[in-house]
Amino acid sequence: MEAPLIRLTLTLPSALMGEFFPILQQGFLVTAHVGCTLQRLLCRQWGISPDYVATRITTIFLDSRATDNVETAIVRDGSTIALSGAMPGLVGATMRRGGHLAAMRGAMTHQENPTEAVDRIGTVRVKLFNLLLPDLGPGFLKRGILMGCSDVIAFFQERGETFWESCDGGSINGTPVSPGLLQTTHPLCTGGSVRLTVNFR
Amino acid sequence: MDKIARIDMGAAGGPKVTYEEVGEYAGLGGRALTSLFIAKEVHPLCHPLGAENKLIFAPGMLSGTTGSMTGRLSVGCKSPLTGTIKESNAGGQAAQVLARIGYAAVILEGKPKGDDLYKIIINKDGIKVETDNRLKLLDNYPLVEKLRTEYGDKVAYITIGSAGERQLLAASIACTDPELRPTRHCGRGGVGAVMGAKRVKAIILDDAGMKMRPAKDPEKFRDANRRFVEGLRKHPVTGEGLPAYGTNILTNVLNEAGGYPTYNFKTGVFPGGSKISGEAQAELEIKRGGTATHGCHRGCVIQCSGIYNDKDGHYITKQPEYETVWSHGGNCGIDDLDTIARLDFMDDNFGLDTIEMGATIGVAMDAGLAEFGDREAAIRLMEEVGKGTPLGRVLGCGAEITGKVFGVEKVPVVKGQAIPAYDPRPIQGIGVTYATTTMGADHTAGYAIATNILKVGGDVDPLKTEGQVELSRNLQIATAAIDSTGMCLFIAFAIMDQPETFQALLDMLGSFYGIEMTGDDVVALGKRVLSAERDFNARAGFTKQHDRLPRFFYTDPIEPHNQVFSVPDEELDQVFNW
Repeated sequence: MEAPLIRLTLTLPSALMGEFFPILQQGFLVTAHVGCTLQRLLCRQWGISPDYVATRITTIFLDSRATDNVETAIVRDGSTIALSGAMPGLVGATMRRGGHLAAMRGAMTHQENPTEAVDRIGTVRVKLFNLLLPDLGPGFLKRGILMGCSDVIAFFQERGETFWESCDGGSINGTPVSPGLLQTTHPLCTGGSVRLTVNFR
Repeated sequence: MDKIARIDMGAAGGPKVTYEEVGEYAGLGGRALTSLFIAKEVHPLCHPLGAENKLIFAPGMLSGTTGSMTGRLSVGCKSPLTGTIKESNAGGQAAQVLARIGYAAVILEGKPKGDDLYKIIINKDGIKVETDNRLKLLDNYPLVEKLRTEYGDKVAYITIGSAGERQLLAASIACTDPELRPTRHCGRGGVGAVMGAKRVKAIILDDAGMKMRPAKDPEKFRDANRRFVEGLRKHPVTGEGLPAYGTNILTNVLNEAGGYPTYNFKTGVFPGGSKISGEAQAELEIKRGGTATHGCHRGCVIQCSGIYNDKDGHYITKQPEYETVWSHGGNCGIDDLDTIARLDFMDDNFGLDTIEMGATIGVAMDAGLAEFGDREAAIRLMEEVGKGTPLGRVLGCGAEITGKVFGVEKVPVVKGQAIPAYDPRPIQGIGVTYATTTMGADHTAGYAIATNILKVGGDVDPLKTEGQVELSRNLQIATAAIDSTGMCLFIAFAIMDQPETFQALLDMLGSFYGIEMTGDDVVALGKRVLSAERDFNARAGFTKQHDRLPRFFYTDPIEPHNQVFSVPDEELDQVFNW
């Protein structure tokens, strides 16, 4: 039988946002309505302003392919979406959305597959890079991200004293838990998946 | 900057200094000056470590002024690594100080007999060359410390470590940063070996009593510089990304793109990429009391460097660049920033090119000298280089030599120089530059991305895959021009996107020299430099057959995109047809 989803909520000072950057870079799963365009996912579902998408999210990879047009690229169940701010270097400029050096990518450019995309609830993997980490990270963490139990345990085990001293504690499936108990990771050792929600104060 | 000094290291009776007017090189700087000079004066068939080769140091056109980002020093010679013409440049304080003392170029010629080691002191009173055998086999950090006790802290130092003295082909020339650390290197092409062959260990630059170089139109220059700085500060790359994360901001993106050469170019994705990303690096630097924002020379407003401390807060090295983190990191399967920082320090200390050494260790790992991912083994191999053991001398001569000695089939080099951190199979356009550049594989040879604003060539449809050759040509022309100004290449992002910032740059050059500069002038300069370099290489025996990538890039697809390099040879041969 599949292990049940654990709902874990933490409350932390906003100064500790950087502690989550490794997770946000490596990628995390979120539940989303798939079968829609990237633009729709970013703006309608995740609430990112169209202006921010246009001016700050200058590089987007959909399944490892550089994407120029967010209004035509379709997100499918299981897709990986990597979002980056402005990048230096020839390759940084090459990967930029609609940049004049895009031709240098060759076949790495995302071409929309004409096969029909199914409109449904699914999961997508999201990766946030560089300038977008502090901008978009808190929103994703507040809405909740899906992680494997072992990944959460590894994350907790790597945290230093500052993290645990500043942590207000949290709740597991609605039941309050102390930072000390979380630090032992015992409540998470049941396996399966965790929906991690972080509220920054 | 109205004179050139020649130092004949092989003159009868000891090194002899002569001075001359800049003459035909007036108004030139950086790569334009070094390449035009080498192409004219150095026999293309000479042995790079022999008396016939010359080593020229040239500040940029605006170095020594109050202009921002003007601190690149170009070094030129015939390369012992590639056999081609070579221009290698670095930041640090040297260019600014040399320019203020008044030299457009300092040229080392000849080769002394015997084993004596020399230092050169350059100040407002002239140039002195002195024997100093106490400096023998000192590496860069202890060498600079020793020199500081004699010459103090208000100077700039140009030095070579033990690798340069041993004439290893990956040897670099170090320039000190504002804190007098030997962290900024003319890394590529073995220029340090040429300095070692001339038996020059250090150049001490003292600009005491000298003033900033005055502009012909000071008010206009000041205004143009103000607009230029504003442009850099408001651009997201130069004003936010680079200051916050440095060039290593690229690791995550290259890895995501599948263009991050891993395990000696076997795959395009490194599983440990996020552990060594610029984001992780900056976080760690700040946490340990270092900094993720630091300028390599005074007058830098981008500040893409940093200070990397150990867990106890002690300095290890400056912030390793993206290419260094790649070469010693993902390319060797190493996902530990502390190991990479230590290797970066060893490169700087021994005086070695970080790209060449990381690529070489990757080849050595392929040869079975160590396992990919073995941190301690990578450090041990570098220690061999520092000690000058027979194995260390092989490794210190770069990836191609190491591959030959150990029978490795797939060695990522072009014209003998290691390919940097961007795989040319998924990113075909950069493969065109690697193959055809006059310098051997070099990502910075086609780095000046502002081709649109520089109006180099025609427009290329960004959504079509054709046009790689045209783009590479345009990029190489633009880069040759920017390298000649002595400006940091990172200004290209702001001038690409902001026409007013490009205009400010033109106004800086124009108001300083009292001329009108246009984009066409910049393009003409770039073409002139490239033509001279190509001509030298042709006379040195290089043909279109050398403008190719190693065969395995054409035959071995790389994951995740499963691509090979597919630009036809006939198209590569058109890059320099203008």
